[in-house]
Amino acid sequence: MSFADWLRADRLPHIWCSGCSNGTILNCTLAAVEAEGWDPDRTVFVSGIGCSSRAPGYISTDSLHTTHGRALAFATGVKLADPSLNVVVFTGDGDLAAIGGNHFIHACRRNIDLTVVCMNNLIYGMTGGQGSPTTPIGALSTTTPYGASEPAFDLVALAVAAGANHVARWTAYHVRELERAVQTGLETPGLSFIEVRAGCPTNYGRKNRLREVTDLAEYFRTKSMLKAKFDRLVAEGRPVPSDAIVVGEFVRRSNPAMGVVP
Amino acid sequence: MKLVIDENRCKGCNLCTLVCPYRIFRPGTRANRKGVLVPELDRPERCTNCRLQGLYGRTLCGVCQLTCPDQAIGWVRERPYEPAKIEVEY
Ligand SMILES: Cc1ncc(C[n+]2csc(CCOP(=O)(O)OP(=O)(O)O)c2C)c(N)n1
Ligand code: SF4
Ligand code: SF4
Repeated sequence: MSFADWLRADRLPHIWCSGCSNGTILNCTLAAVEAEGWDPDRTVFVSGIGCSSRAPGYISTDSLHTTHGRALAFATGVKLADPSLNVVVFTGDGDLAAIGGNHFIHACRRNIDLTVVCMNNLIYGMTGGQGSPTTPIGALSTTTPYGASEPAFDLVALAVAAGANHVARWTAYHVRELERAVQTGLETPGLSFIEVRAGCPTNYGRKNRLREVTDLAEYFRTKSMLKAKFDRLVAEGRPVPSDAIVVGEFVRRSNPAMGVVP
Repeated sequence: MKLVIDENRCKGCNLCTLVCPYRIFRPGTRANRKGVLVPELDRPERCTNCRLQGLYGRTLCGVCQLTCPDQAIGWVRERPYEPAKIEVEY
């Protein structure tokens, strides 16, 4: 068995653009589910709306492709109706942090036993590249033609503060690390949140001098900084590049969780 | 095992050319039926998984397959298995 056995081969090739990270993140998540040995008949994938949210449609298990921003609300319902089901949520940055922001913090607060994989491409991909709550200051998008001027959400810090039991960040370049992080998430009771920095060559890369897919991968490779190194630099009072993507595991704890089979 | 790219799925992003430690994938030069420049394979028998999957009974390395956003990379069983003469470069 490999992760490829979880795919609906009849639905491929998928609709994502050439070089879109969503496909890679789908592979890594399925590889983690496969490594965990989950039963496809007892596993449910849930998503909202967006390019990223199309992921469950390519998986052979039961899935819910719900309304914009409501993936976590539907996933909460599935998990509480039958806590013995394994529930994984795919969501985008707009889906999770803009229209679905309140569901996100409350799902973390309740610490529901879900694994949430956020494909954060820093914009609204599906609707044509508008700015999202995670668009970095200075980045160009359809709605920020002179560069984004509002501070961006740090989704990881938000999840940690709101109470999630396991929080990690990786990029689509770090395939093995991402697979392992998702697997840790599947094993952790309570809410597990994995933010994955994703490349959207079509709507983000094109406007931000990352037109080539390989440029985006190179960007992730060179800008990523392990959390341990980041912490060390901060402790020593040394400067940290403002565009560093801090990657690694941010929290793993065992606070009381909801929806866990006793 | 034999390394193959599914031409129907590949969209020519060239990510595989970046991640393979043996640099087996080379950017394609000829457009296929769909107009995609599918990467070419340079001596694919060097691939770790091609050589050792049978021995270990699990996928080895496999980072190209995990990275490929279009699920286009895979391995097919060779029958009968032909041990090729392999030069491994370090
Ligand atoms: C209630 C509602 N409001 C707005 C939309 C329009 N809409 C569709 S996708 C989308 C943004 C998706 O962005 P994101 O979640 O970041 O996913 P991506 O496409 O970038 O993967 C929006 C605003 C909608 N479908 N439903
Ligand atoms: S628009 Fe961006 S996010 Fe959507 S499929 Fe294309 S590359 Fe991916
Ligand atoms: S990574 Fe996949 S889709 Fe991209 S060029 Fe290689 S085989 Fe084709």
